Amino acid sequence: MAFGGEIILRPRSWRRLLQFGGYATVAALSPSSYGLAARALAVRQIYLTAWKVLPAYLAFSALLSMVIIEIVHSRARAYGLDAYALELVLRVLILEVIPLLTALFLALRSGAAIGAEIALMRVSGALEDHEEAGASPLHAELVPRIAAAALSVFSLTTLSIALALYLTYALFYGTSVSGFVAFTRVVGNVFDLQIFVGFLLKCALFGFAVAIIPLATGLEAERGAMHTVPNAVLAGLMKLFLVIGLIEILSLVVKYV
Amino acid sequence: MSDQPDSTVNVPYVPKTLGVKVGILLAVAAMVGASLVGYVLYARGVFDDFQRLTLIADNADGVSPGMDLTFAGFPIGRVRRLSLSDDGKARIHVRVPVTDARWLRTTTIFTLEVPLVGGAKLRAHTNPAHLQDPMLPDRAERPVLRGDVNTEIPQMVARLREVLDNVDQMTESGSSLQESLNNVRTVTSRMAGKQGMLGAALGSEENAKKLLQAIDRANTLMASLNGVSVRLDGVLAKTDQRLYGAGGIADETQKAIVQANAILGGVSASLKKVDAILADAQAVASNAKVATTDLAALRAEVEASVRKVGALIDEINRKWPFERDTKIKLP
Repeated sequence: MAFGGEIILRPRSWRRLLQFGGYATVAALSPSSYGLAARALAVRQIYLTAWKVLPAYLAFSALLSMVIIEIVHSRARAYGLDAYALELVLRVLILEVIPLLTALFLALRSGAAIGAEIALMRVSGALEDHEEAGASPLHAELVPRIAAAALSVFSLTTLSIALALYLTYALFYGTSVSGFVAFTRVVGNVFDLQIFVGFLLKCALFGFAVAIIPLATGLEAERGAMHTVPNAVLAGLMKLFLVIGLIEILSLVVKYV
Repeated sequence: MSDQPDSTVNVPYVPKTLGVKVGILLAVAAMVGASLVGYVLYARGVFDDFQRLTLIADNADGVSPGMDLTFAGFPIGRVRRLSLSDDGKARIHVRVPVTDARWLRTTTIFTLEVPLVGGAKLRAHTNPAHLQDPMLPDRAERPVLRGDVNTEIPQMVARLREVLDNVDQMTESGSSLQESLNNVRTVTSRMAGKQGMLGAALGSEENAKKLLQAIDRANTLMASLNGVSVRLDGVLAKTDQRLYGAGGIADETQKAIVQANAILGGVSASLKKVDAILADAQAVASNAKVATTDLAALRAEVEASVRKVGALIDEINRKWPFERDTKIKLP
């Protein structure tokens, strides 16, 4: 029985992942991939992945945001670095913590489920049956899931960032609009062109990783070999965490080193 | 378990409300995302008109793109980029929104302050009295004055070291300050001793004792001198009495002189009579008879006058004891 760690270390596994990623991206971006059935599958997937968890996730991220904002704000004030508190909060919370948290949350919430689903389909031979029936399993089964996961990541990240931004303003300036100009200046300072483009790119990569990696690794389960399913799912999650961590580290290195 | 995937693949049943919900979610997310992007672009000043300003500094340490240019504590512009000119000076390119450019006049002074903690601060100072000056033109180039705490610290430390060296010299053993302090200590310890201030002033307790004895003796001497002067006073008072008191020498002399005056007056009258008589005698020369009778009276009067003069001389000699010669020469 192979452990997930072994699959992670296989170069072949990564190569296949990249290959599959390329195909899947092209397919996901072509409108012809979205037939009625595929759209319905995507909508169901988004409903399960994003809509159902939205209130709980927003509440959770709001709580975490408030705690972080309050800590940074009060500590900065205690050290007499009040002027830098807002910038620090924006850099830590908006640029790093919220996107990372959302990606990890969705990796747990949908990545594991999708990986297991695909691995089981692989074991049962359902995907091959599709192929034999003349339908492309990539288009029918995989692309809707990929698109749904990417859209879910986008939705949750955007909404939680907007909420965190509002909470930051509210905790710094209260409900008055008097701080808007100063707040906007700091936002403008934090999001310079490189940071902003890098931020959008990072969010896109997070969505890409969450959508593709569990699915691609689920395909590594072997037909008829039920025992390979847990390994494939575990390997998918580990790869996903590894890739998300690497993307985050890379973005930090590019920004600050 | 193997038939489960089939069911998910072949029955993609989606309730209508679910599609609406997902549509709302995606639409809201897209709108929020677009708003966020728009807000960031607005915050970046993409929709504003700008005026460019280049500040020239010897050293752009601490300046970074995105830094604010402040006027009276309010950010009015932002550093866009930095470059190095051909003459080796740093050029700080600043963009100021046109609405805020009115604070920048041709007389505006720009400063770059680098504090010990925190980022550098780029400031514009316009004297309120000069706000009527012409506006700073677009793409203007202005020098920036630099105040850097970090570069001042080494100078401060060097100066502090000099001061500490001086203090060190002043306090080391054998220094003049140390000796002065030692002397002060000796003096104060003497002052605290038995003879107090005197001991301190005279150097030792023995000297102080001698001085005290000398003062005692002087006091005694003064007391006896006082007695002498009292006695002298008495003597003088007595002398005064003898000389000028009633019955004193002066008094008696005055009386004698008054008497002498009276006697001399008498003599003078007598002599006038003699003169008259002699004139009569001349007239009487022919009349001898008349003359011989008057002559006897004349002799008596002359003799009386001479006796009075002799008594007077005696009286004076008695009262004025210095002339011992009692002879009287008559004419």
